[in-house]
Amino acid sequence: MTYVENIFVCVAAPLLVSMFFMGKKYYRFFFFAFIGMGACLLSAYINTFFAQLYQADLMNASTQIAPVVEEVMKLLPLLFYLLIFDPESEKISSSVLTIAVSFATFENIVYLTQSGAGNLVHLLIRGFGTGAMHIVCGAIICYGLVYVWQRDWLKIAGTAGLLGASITFHATYNLLIAHGGATQYIAYALPLVSLLLAGVVKQVTSRMPRPSQAEEAGADSSQQ
Amino acid sequence: MIELLDNLTQSAVTLTAFIAAGIFYYRSRQQAFYLLACFLGCFMLGTFHWTLYILLFDTTPQVFYVSELAWNASYLFLLTMTYTLASEEEKKFRHPAMLLVPLFCLPQLALYLTFGEIMGNLIMVGLTMTAALFAMRGFLFARRQSGPARQKQYFHGAVLVTVFLEYGLWTSSCFWISDTLTNPYFWFDFLLSAALLALVPALKKAVTA
Repeated sequence: MTYVENIFVCVAAPLLVSMFFMGKKYYRFFFFAFIGMGACLLSAYINTFFAQLYQADLMNASTQIAPVVEEVMKLLPLLFYLLIFDPESEKISSSVLTIAVSFATFENIVYLTQSGAGNLVHLLIRGFGTGAMHIVCGAIICYGLVYVWQRDWLKIAGTAGLLGASITFHATYNLLIAHGGATQYIAYALPLVSLLLAGVVKQVTSRMPRPSQAEEAGADSSQQ
Repeated sequence: MIELLDNLTQSAVTLTAFIAAGIFYYRSRQQAFYLLACFLGCFMLGTFHWTLYILLFDTTPQVFYVSELAWNASYLFLLTMTYTLASEEEKKFRHPAMLLVPLFCLPQLALYLTFGEIMGNLIMVGLTMTAALFAMRGFLFARRQSGPARQKQYFHGAVLVTVFLEYGLWTSSCFWISDTLTNPYFWFDFLLSAALLALVPALKKAVTA
């Protein structure tokens, strides 16, 4: 039996003490780090509850229950922050990523206590796989929310869409892992490949002229 | 085998339509194309996950349909699109034929409730029925217009066809006949893929009019 709440206390205690020494400027970072780890802790309880309720085995729980519970648990505190404090877009993105990172870190700590830390290669793959997967899900929510919450007509549908996208990505990752074999390695590569592709697309689109700029450039050349 | 082929086709079609809508949005920067791209993107994600599950495990999910979340999000985008595309005058327009939408949807909702869970069916039918109601209003309103405003009828018509095919698909899934092409489920799904693809040119016609 793993006492996750004890692990939470053990990890959070030094962070809590250091928070007071770091100063007010860093309160938000620590606050969201605690929220991310707390979300992970609560997700473990809720996952177990639903797995018991639906009599789900490990495979069904990890592919159909865990992605939904974990992504919703990560989004709920953020929605509260957005609705109550109406923060600037920079604060939204850093908060989402802090929640995602701390969630992934705490999940890895719990995994280490359960499975041991003997196999470095496996842990390296897992760290860059599962850890990066939570970051990708966080990035989907992060960059999406910054865009969506600036447009009133898009707030409800946009938030639901982002949650749907992050849950589906998470579920696809878990699905490939649960299948085992070669597909497991596709899953481990999926988050980093997705991040790489997103970076390439961003670079390409930033270099392409906007349609309005292209039209202006075309107009200029025709005048010459 | 036919189910896998059907799902692979739909994944490819929605991905193509999503890219097309994204390109149109990039060129025109129009809100309607953005919403259509979001609708098709979410729909594609749901279908892709469903297809992958069938491909890897040769069965449908046993506990919870993750894909339904992505599909519900896509219907929310469709609903937002049909609502925001309407002019102020159109929003005030009423016609008795609009009653056909709840008359068509609600009896089928009763059927779904006897087969599946309550919450998921209420959300799915609620979203699609409201989107169809707005589309029916837009269709009837556009038919009364002349000139470019009339072009919106194609988009609203395409939305109505999409919703109609969705209901056909859900209802036929309640009475599963076989895993072959004799099952109307697959025909509805192939037609739905075509209808989803048709949404892109239909919206282009409505927006550029």
